[in-house]
Amino acid sequence: MEQNVLLQLSHISKRYKTELALKDINMELHPGEILGFLGPSGAGKTTTIKIITGQLRQTSGEAKILGTDSANIDASIYERIGVVSDNSGIYEKMTVWQNLNMFAKIWRVPRTRVEEVLRQVDLSEHSKKQAGKLSKGQKQRLVLARAVLHKPRILFLDEPTSGLDPTTAVEIHKMLLDLKKEGMAIFLTTHNMEEATKLCDNVALLYQGEIVEFGSPQELCLKYNHDKRYQILLDDRKEIILEQSPENIRKIAEWMEKDQVQCIHSCEPTLESVFLQVTGKTLNAW
Amino acid sequence: MGNMNKLAAVAQIKWLCMSQNTAVVIGPFMVIGMVWGFKILYSNFGPNGELIPIMMAMLLNLGVTMNICINGFLMVGTAIAEEKEKHTLRVLMTSSVTGMQYFIGSILYPFVLTVVINFAILWVSGIEMGQVSVPVFFLVSVIASLISCVIGMIVGICASTQMNANLIGYPLMMVFMMVPILGNLSEGLRRISGFLFTGVVTQMTDCFANGMEYKIEALDIAVLFGELIISMLVFLVMYRKNGYEKD
Repeated sequence: MEQNVLLQLSHISKRYKTELALKDINMELHPGEILGFLGPSGAGKTTTIKIITGQLRQTSGEAKILGTDSANIDASIYERIGVVSDNSGIYEKMTVWQNLNMFAKIWRVPRTRVEEVLRQVDLSEHSKKQAGKLSKGQKQRLVLARAVLHKPRILFLDEPTSGLDPTTAVEIHKMLLDLKKEGMAIFLTTHNMEEATKLCDNVALLYQGEIVEFGSPQELCLKYNHDKRYQILLDDRKEIILEQSPENIRKIAEWMEKDQVQCIHSCEPTLESVFLQVTGKTLNAW
Repeated sequence: MGNMNKLAAVAQIKWLCMSQNTAVVIGPFMVIGMVWGFKILYSNFGPNGELIPIMMAMLLNLGVTMNICINGFLMVGTAIAEEKEKHTLRVLMTSSVTGMQYFIGSILYPFVLTVVINFAILWVSGIEMGQVSVPVFFLVSVIASLISCVIGMIVGICASTQMNANLIGYPLMMVFMMVPILGNLSEGLRRISGFLFTGVVTQMTDCFANGMEYKIEALDIAVLFGELIISMLVFLVMYRKNGYEKD
């Protein structure tokens, strides 16, 4: 395993009785990289995180985290990773401070670091508030604060912005990009393609337990940009989408000469449309 | 040093969780209140407002076994189930806390509380302390409390919700509590009771209540240590199979 590979999955498969939940998953994660694991609910995203973090045993293949087989993961590895699961898992009757301070004791993190993280997630003024009384967005920020308290090398995030309002989601995105700048590797599962495009260096599109595409969001979008199209808004508020062809280009040039074009956009494929092209399914249908 | 930090943190988390769960906290107070209430109620039957030995024996048997069962089976089991329900167990187990640290941290306070309350029950019952062999009472209390806490951990492994923990814990509690108490009424139950750790406890409290010297016999020691070993083995087998939480 290369020294700068923090996480390596080789031919991972997971079978639950008759159902194949994961099939031949391969990937690597490097320092400072955000890797998106994208797919609809039930595609196998959470199962993958559970296998990597030693909560579940794979049926076949090898998962190595920080050079250790995930089947043999021990306290020394857990001290170097942070996990945010799809359920918040906060102690709702304890205060915000207690929630962080307990884990600070577990990781032998000084009190000043707790204060620093509270400031980072903008929860300092709520530190004496009962965690159960926080808003959903604040709870998610608390969970994230707890996961990064000990400055882990890899952060696992399972649907971190699911169900959050756009403003809070943007705040979380900013925090994740800051962590990436600090060199933290982030393994992110999401079914939000916009989020993945914005944050991830590489994405794996997961469908029915199988990676159907892998690459940077830009690469994937370009790869599937077969039919170049343009969206044109004319003066009479008419919106037209035209495919690239000599005839359509002449038509556009004509409108432009007559100064009839309000605006013109090229229609690049999004990860959403890439997913549709690859699987024949939209994510929204799930 | 690091391990002790983690252990202390887990114990503190468990203590905060238990002390904030009304259903769990009420148990020990209920036992002491019940002993005190019964003492007041039945004092009229004895001379000078004192309990007659048979009543004192019943009171101590009921109080001590109920305390051991409630704190062990229910307090420990329900606390683990609550952590599963609220998904905090998974967070703890992926935070570098080991299974052993979680085990000790989970039973530490309930265990100490059970032993302390057993002594509180002696005091509240008003038994003449000259009739009690404190070292023996302490030793038997410690082992019995430990067994009940380990059984509580098994209940916690089996249960996925607090309701579930109660459903598993109550039948166990009925067996371990009622068989020794009803042993005075039935020869069959008395024999069975001799093979239960709570039965050893009630034999001891019976002797103290009747002003007799209690000599711990080989069978009692075998029952206490045997059931401690068995409960630990069952716990280990179940833990090795699925950990604290089955996926």
